[in-house]
Amino acid sequence: MTTDELEQLLAQQPVALLHRLARGRVHRHFRAGKRRLIELLLQHSSQNRAGLESDLETLIGERHSPLGSGSPHIHRAPAITPKKASPRGAEPESAETAVSLSAWLEGLGVPSPQPFVPDPWQNEALSALNEADVVISVPTGSGKTYVAVEAARRAMEDNRTVIYTSPLKALSNTKYTEFSRIFGPDTVGILTGDRQENGQAPLLIMTTEILRNLLYDAASGEIDVRLDTLGLVILDESQYLADPERGVVWEETIIFCPSQARLLLLSASIGNPQDIADWLTSIRSTVCRLVRHSKRTVPLRAGYLHPNGKLTPLFKTLGIPYGHPSHLHPEAKRLFLEYEEETLPTGRPRR
Amino acid sequence: MPPSIHPVDLITALRQKHLTPAIVFLTSRRACDDAMETFDHADLLLPPARQEAIDVALERITVQHPSIAEHPLIPIVRRIGIAAHHAGHLPSWKIAIEELMRQGHLDAVFATTTLAAGVDFPARTVVITQSSIRKSRDFTDLTIGEVQQISGRAGRRGKDHVGFAIVTPSPYIDLAVLTKGLTGQPEAINSQFTISYPMVLNLLKAHPHEQIQGILAKSFAQFQLNQRAELLEQKLDAVHVQMEPFGPRVCTDWITQWHTFDHARRHRHTRHQTHRSESPEISARLPFLTPGRVVGLGKGRGIVLRQYRSKGQKNSMLTLLRPDSAVTECPVTSVKEVYDRTYDCTETPTYPWCSTETFDRLSHQLAELPSHLPVLPILVPLGFEPLPDAIIQSLGDFPCPTCPSRPACQKDFTTASRLRQEQQRHTKSIQALRTSLWHRFQERVEVLQKFGYLTPATQLTIDGEWARLIRIDHSLLITELIRAEAFSGADPSLLAGVLASLAHDDDRPGAFPRISPGLSSLLGQVRKLAESLSPYEDPPLLRADVAALVERWVSDPALTWIGLCRLTTMAEGDIYRLLARTLEFLSQVQALKSTHPGLAESASQAITLIRRGVLEELP
Repeated sequence: MTTDELEQLLAQQPVALLHRLARGRVHRHFRAGKRRLIELLLQHSSQNRAGLESDLETLIGERHSPLGSGSPHIHRAPAITPKKASPRGAEPESAETAVSLSAWLEGLGVPSPQPFVPDPWQNEALSALNEADVVISVPTGSGKTYVAVEAARRAMEDNRTVIYTSPLKALSNTKYTEFSRIFGPDTVGILTGDRQENGQAPLLIMTTEILRNLLYDAASGEIDVRLDTLGLVILDESQYLADPERGVVWEETIIFCPSQARLLLLSASIGNPQDIADWLTSIRSTVCRLVRHSKRTVPLRAGYLHPNGKLTPLFKTLGIPYGHPSHLHPEAKRLFLEYEEETLPTGRPRR
Repeated sequence: MPPSIHPVDLITALRQKHLTPAIVFLTSRRACDDAMETFDHADLLLPPARQEAIDVALERITVQHPSIAEHPLIPIVRRIGIAAHHAGHLPSWKIAIEELMRQGHLDAVFATTTLAAGVDFPARTVVITQSSIRKSRDFTDLTIGEVQQISGRAGRRGKDHVGFAIVTPSPYIDLAVLTKGLTGQPEAINSQFTISYPMVLNLLKAHPHEQIQGILAKSFAQFQLNQRAELLEQKLDAVHVQMEPFGPRVCTDWITQWHTFDHARRHRHTRHQTHRSESPEISARLPFLTPGRVVGLGKGRGIVLRQYRSKGQKNSMLTLLRPDSAVTECPVTSVKEVYDRTYDCTETPTYPWCSTETFDRLSHQLAELPSHLPVLPILVPLGFEPLPDAIIQSLGDFPCPTCPSRPACQKDFTTASRLRQEQQRHTKSIQALRTSLWHRFQERVEVLQKFGYLTPATQLTIDGEWARLIRIDHSLLITELIRAEAFSGADPSLLAGVLASLAHDDDRPGAFPRISPGLSSLLGQVRKLAESLSPYEDPPLLRADVAALVERWVSDPALTWIGLCRLTTMAEGDIYRLLARTLEFLSQVQALKSTHPGLAESASQAITLIRRGVLEELP
């Protein structure tokens, strides 16, 4: 959700909802009028965007559920929502009641196969790549590979070569197999420390160190012709930039990456992707666009399993209460305190 | 209640709630192996149909990777559908487990957290049992990013509606770390830019020295330093604004002017001793005038009973025991001699300032003192620095005493000088942030010039030309070894052995086979050189055991993988990684074909000899 969208969404909500949202976030929120409240919430959102968004969604959902709105007395009554099959399904939506185990376990199972439709952010990233470098920072398992494959396909259709790097040899090998299956074995080559196959293919997979060495050799005059036709460099797992030993290799690679080639950085969720994008913009001839989101494709639920085999939800809410680490499920809290009391030697302070 | 859930109970619980397949993250490899052992006699058999499916899948993988055929974990994998996956295993085993997991044959995998950052390996559920991980010998709390990497493995796209992250406690778990990790925003990442010797050589090969500052400025490190510098600049601007009312007055730089004036004024002050203080001679004596000391006065002698300060007196006072048991008070200035003689004296806080026995004894001893006593030589320190007369005299020249803005200056001076100090501090920090990378580069350049890889004009020397091709850790040590011709005439196994000890940076202990005398003396030479280079490069671990192990593998082509593993207590996966790292180092040495043909030949022979058995099987 962009800031503009968030602002619009906030503006559509009744002021009472905004006050509930502001509780615990904005100091003396009850003094503020609607416009001022939106302003303050947006200011706050810079600190914890994900938490604000997820709470907002919960509140909106509550308001739209037929019985839940306005009357706290009916909160606990079974409500039927179209989403949930069980009559108890609406319960976890409320912020006050803790979710029950059966509701928490609901929805387990295998979804029916669905035709693949690219997510909006994937399309956004691909179209941005037409005129800019792109940094993608999304949670694990969101489908970064799809973007990499499509981007590589488009570059190769343009008769440009593509280099794909990953930090680990094992990952390179996996990708080699995967890309060979997608593009055909002749189009894909691999260069790692001890494996060189199909080195003239238009799509080359290598470890980042190898690419760094290639770039150094090219810079010192031992020109590799292939760098002239290089159209796209994909750096997977770019969060390795912060690796204490190897991070420097990513920086060198990015600094020396030929200017005519587009850069595509794929990274897991990190705290400052905007910094990376700004950095790229500042050192390269093209601008760099950031594509990020923090919503997982498959939603996550957290549970607590006691050593005696009892399973309870970890948080009061069904999903993860982003920004509220203390919203523990009362049962989980009780069990864990019990556990700590039993395992910690007496007289020792709790860690 | 056991401190943590039993693995068998864990799997039972997960199966019961249909939370499989699951990845169980454990603290250590050892914990994973122990967990697997508990299933030896467990009654959790898979239905026969699934067992057969695993058999079929395993057979298919074994064709590609024969080394897993005899793996000791296979029976459990087959019967129960669980496996262990950690860095101690061979890559082929890990590939096999990943493949089985992907095809949905396994119910659970016990893994260490290294898995979270590695391969694409999703499951329906992840089980978190710890809140800290071992990082270079120490346990540190998981970061938010790490917790999210781990929980990111939960929920397979297209195969699950929801993913589950289940926390199960073990001793010393900190639930707050995990809840914060699950609900928080991942941390910002920071640049880890370091300037290595090969980087300097390669940069100087391709670019003239003047351009390099511009290249370094392009790094993310500099970008982040600039961000910090900008913050400081904002602060500096704020200080400038605060400084505005303290701008030029009668004199342009009134702060310095006032500072000097004020300083001189205070200095002059010390000249007129209005307060009590001793002359250097007296104060040098004071430490010796302790109870029990014999002193000479203008008339006769005395023994010091106490030293004290008295309000009306300029100097310190002494209480003395005089002949005939008289107790008198006198200022220290009346002491003419301090003798080299002391007696034991038990002090008391009231008159006569010592115990009665001491008093009697001292009176007795004072009477019996010989007529001549040695005088204690007391060194008198040179007095205070003579006051800078120039400043004192020029006090009259200062405009301040008669200046109209004197009261204002006096009032504002504290604030203004604090602000100015702040301003200077910020300016300095900004300067340092902007140029630190360049300075680090220059330091490296100086070292390389000292060792003769660069000319004084920062051109690459002949040695520099080939040294830039060694782009691995400990590059300076390796190039120095090559220049010292340490490897000349060394056969491939010795070369591989030494490079292995340079490459291996893990400190997990391992037992080792007998080390050959040739390798041992070569390692001694390497160690000596590494020590002498330690101001310029962190020395490697240089473990003899890994060197001996690799030497055996290279020199004895009949040695099988199993045989090699029996020679040491290292885990299979570690041996594999050791050999792979050694290969990497060897291939760098092999690149020196044109300048060091003999060495390169030796390296390429070693590479061929290493790549056999398990190492050949993997791509």
